Amino acid sequence: MKNSFAVEIKGLTKSFKDFKALDTIDLNIKHGEKVVICGPSGSGKSTLIRCINGLEDFDEGKISISDNPQKPSKESFVSDFHIGMVFQQFNLFPHLSVIENLKLGPMKSLGLSEKDADTRARKLLERVKIPEQALKKPNQLSGGQQQRVAIARALCMEPKLMLFDEPTSALDPEMISEVLEVIVDLAREGMTMVVVTHEMGFAKKVADRIIFMDGGSIVEQNSPGMFFKKPQTARCKKFLKQILHH
Amino acid sequence: MFRILILFLLFFTLSSCSSPEGTWGWYVIDPSTKAGWTNIKFLVGGFYSTILLSIIAAFLSIFIGLVVALPAMSDNKLLKLFNRVYVEFIRSIPLLPMLFWVFYGLPVILKSMGIDANIDAFWGAIITLAISDSAFTAEIYRAGIQSISKGQTEAAKTIGLNYYQTMRYVIMPQALRRILPPLANQFIYIVKMSAFASVIGMQELTRRANEIVVTEYRPLEIYTLLIFEYLILVLLISFGVRYLEKKLGSNESASS
Repeated sequence: MKNSFAVEIKGLTKSFKDFKALDTIDLNIKHGEKVVICGPSGSGKSTLIRCINGLEDFDEGKISISDNPQKPSKESFVSDFHIGMVFQQFNLFPHLSVIENLKLGPMKSLGLSEKDADTRARKLLERVKIPEQALKKPNQLSGGQQQRVAIARALCMEPKLMLFDEPTSALDPEMISEVLEVIVDLAREGMTMVVVTHEMGFAKKVADRIIFMDGGSIVEQNSPGMFFKKPQTARCKKFLKQILHH
Repeated sequence: MFRILILFLLFFTLSSCSSPEGTWGWYVIDPSTKAGWTNIKFLVGGFYSTILLSIIAAFLSIFIGLVVALPAMSDNKLLKLFNRVYVEFIRSIPLLPMLFWVFYGLPVILKSMGIDANIDAFWGAIITLAISDSAFTAEIYRAGIQSISKGQTEAAKTIGLNYYQTMRYVIMPQALRRILPPLANQFIYIVKMSAFASVIGMQELTRRANEIVVTEYRPLEIYTLLIFEYLILVLLISFGVRYLEKKLGSNESASS
């Protein structure tokens, strides 16, 4: 029986030595849902989404991706339900040009021909509004442009779910909006996404649900309207106060 | 560099002129005399073996080094242990005892296993040089690969690349630029250490020099020539590596 969840997490627990990074997390994400995760640093936000795509293994619990149980291992995998990821530090391949960065995955892991991969890559560069930078090396681009390339690279694999790990935290302030615009567009097109971010304006605009994490647990979750208007817990209130006063 | 070389040569030539009865006796390798010319031809003939020996040993070492280095980056403790034991063990063995062991000992072991293999001086020297050097190349690979940020491997995973593809298309092309200079150092080291092959009878530069010394009793001139023979080899390698680095380097400046 096919259920309606893209991601189903039950009792997810993970420790780094003595530090409990994730403490029995339960979380279900529907197909097409946009979830924003926020919380103080060290609260387990990044670890949580890194567990979803297998970059991080976990100790206990279960993660099912579109009904397929995820093994607690770091094995990379490509499935019908591919998960794309965008990192805080972009992690573009510096020795490859922009277009080669985009083509590598489709060609090597999906087995697309060079021509098909090129067509797909160029389409995506249009979509993130930097088609003219195709032949440049990543370090010749601004931070905002690099992050848009990284988004395009992830989309090139035609993912069903996109994970964003603080996509704007390493950017200069004037470049944040150009990256967020791309993500907002993506959200409008119906992509399922989980975004770890402190950009509350962005969260208000696109999120179906905002999750507040602290100390490895989900402390609070709510629709954006309720989340900002009526935070339920003291920790969340304090966090919002700090972050919104900036 | 060449100016110093010329100065040296000038010094040696002049000193031989100024003291006819004295310390220098360049006649042993004087190309204008028949005996001198024969000696030179014999000595320089050693280049062939030294170069061939070094190149084959270096290639083997580069290959074995990679095979030994990759397990060091795995999550598997047993594989990691294999890397550590190999590196620590091999790099602690002095070259000369290892050479004796391979040349005189290995055939005995092989025989006891029913393999009648005669290891000649050439292959004995190659095996020894390659294995002894591979511990160092392994460490060079490890340092080079580990200097590439973890984010690169993670990004490769998220676009579905497997281990081999990640190494081949993402990690190694970046690591290679950092690995190349120390690897060139190792190659120079191999060229020089190949002199040890002379003790098991390999007819390379040093062995040939020794043989002429024994018949002519002019160690100073012959070993001086020998030093210059190695100098030429090493300089050639240096130039080659500079050229390679420049080619890769121009690429690097545009990319990292």
